[in-house]
Amino acid sequence: MFEQLVDGIFWDIALWVFAIGVLWRILSIFRVRNKPDYSVPRDSAIVGAIGTNLHRFMPRREMISRTRLQVVAGYLFHLGLFALLVFAAPHVLFIEAQTGLGWTPMPYWAFIVAAQLAFIGLMLLWFHRIMHPVTRLISDADDHIAAILTFIVMLTGCMALIEEFNGLRVLHRFTVELWLVYFPFSRLMHAFMFIPSRAFTGAWFGRRGVKA
Amino acid sequence: MSNNRQSRIRHHRMVVFSLLSLLVLTLILPLIPYAVADLGQSAGKVVNPGADLWREVRQRDRSVIGSTQVKGVDSGVLINVYGEDWRQFRMQRLIPYGAALMGIVLSVILLFYLVRGPLRLQGGPTGKKIQRFTVFERTTHWFTVSVFWLLALTGLVLLYGRFVLIPLLGAEGFGMTASACKEAHNLFGPMFLVAILMLFVTFVKDNFYARGDITWLLKGGGLLGGGHVSAGRFNAGEKIWFWIAVLGGIVLCVSGLILDFAVFGQGREVMELSHVMHGIVALIVITVSFGHIYLGTAGVEGTIDSMTSGYVDEAWAKSHHDRWYAEVKAAAVEDSETEPAGGGSASTGVASPARDG
Repeated sequence: MFEQLVDGIFWDIALWVFAIGVLWRILSIFRVRNKPDYSVPRDSAIVGAIGTNLHRFMPRREMISRTRLQVVAGYLFHLGLFALLVFAAPHVLFIEAQTGLGWTPMPYWAFIVAAQLAFIGLMLLWFHRIMHPVTRLISDADDHIAAILTFIVMLTGCMALIEEFNGLRVLHRFTVELWLVYFPFSRLMHAFMFIPSRAFTGAWFGRRGVKA
Repeated sequence: MSNNRQSRIRHHRMVVFSLLSLLVLTLILPLIPYAVADLGQSAGKVVNPGADLWREVRQRDRSVIGSTQVKGVDSGVLINVYGEDWRQFRMQRLIPYGAALMGIVLSVILLFYLVRGPLRLQGGPTGKKIQRFTVFERTTHWFTVSVFWLLALTGLVLLYGRFVLIPLLGAEGFGMTASACKEAHNLFGPMFLVAILMLFVTFVKDNFYARGDITWLLKGGGLLGGGHVSAGRFNAGEKIWFWIAVLGGIVLCVSGLILDFAVFGQGREVMELSHVMHGIVALIVITVSFGHIYLGTAGVEGTIDSMTSGYVDEAWAKSHHDRWYAEVKAAAVEDSETEPAGGGSASTGVASPARDG
């Protein structure tokens, strides 16, 4: 019964909530209009937008020594998670079965390495968040729920890796559904918003000739 | 006429006799070796003609490597000599002795807590805080703790699950749980190597032998002889725990990697030895960690703060780590004399967010 719900109606609901929620969040942000800027541009807003997007991939020189852990752990987690999400063989097969689109999955050893890097990154980031007095102060329940939920999704996925027990697959899919439903209403939205956000800041300052 | 009839009857009798004889011989002949062997056994002279063959197959006396077309590690070994020894060790020693060890230590800790209670700060907290661990140190500690306990719990399920969980979950439920735990254990195992390396690099400088450590041990950290014993940043007990965790962790990682990645030519005997070492060391480290957890939480008032907020009360520092406290205070005075007003005490260990980066 639960298996049928998870593979059927729960999955459909989760996908619709995710798709509509993400679109709604993105459109609502883009619909916010700023006051027209009549000043003479000192520099290109587009160059500023692109430049800021690229600059933000590296920490500022003055901050390197203080943010080394977050930068390294951040890259480990995000690159590992991306590789798992898009190139893990079970995911590729699942996407192919759902959409007809398929591509070459990464080999098993690469899957294991990607999963371990992602776990190390996520755990270090979260522990740093709750250990640092400043990030602990500015973090709220959303930050913790997002991190823990992502951890659980990854853990159940790895537990189901051997694909011997259907119950483990169902458990993983159920946690993915919870994650998809939570996604649009949380800071997980940064996955879609970090590029436009950087672009907006970069364009705003770029137009004024300031390197953001 | 009569002669012909008698001849036919004789002929029939001979045919029937021959067939019966053939049948009897067919049934009896295969039994002869067993009968001979049985007679020989009773006489103590004749052995089972198949004994040599089965001795070679079972290989109880020595390891025999045969020839085979199958290419692979141990493919020429029909039955591993030490397999049964390893199985019996696991079932009859590792599992019951490990459970007894953990149970006894937990009982002793509980009894100690009930009899003695938590160690309170003499005179109560002063309210003045002193930084004991930086953000990085605490992050490293909790990362190691998380990976260690994820591995410990999944490992204990694999070792004791059939006794504890099958009655609760049933065979199918336990099968699924064990499969999940095995996958998680195998995946998180290599991460423990990263955690142990981080732990080692972060804390090793304060965990070498220092003067006073022997005294601390002889006085049982204050349990024997009464009163607190002088100690630096880490006392001798904490140093021993550090080295158990690091060296035990290395053994666990190496043996675990041998078990996890069986693609580097390691045979069954190496795997069995690795499993034995993995199990023994894991149970020892888990058992010792009970003491560490007790002393770090319920056992000693104020200790848990050092690993949550990073700060401890001055009374705690003075009471449990007086030499370290004196060093920190001396460094703070030195800094205040060399830096301009408001320069902070970031490098002294005294409370300052500036050091938390």
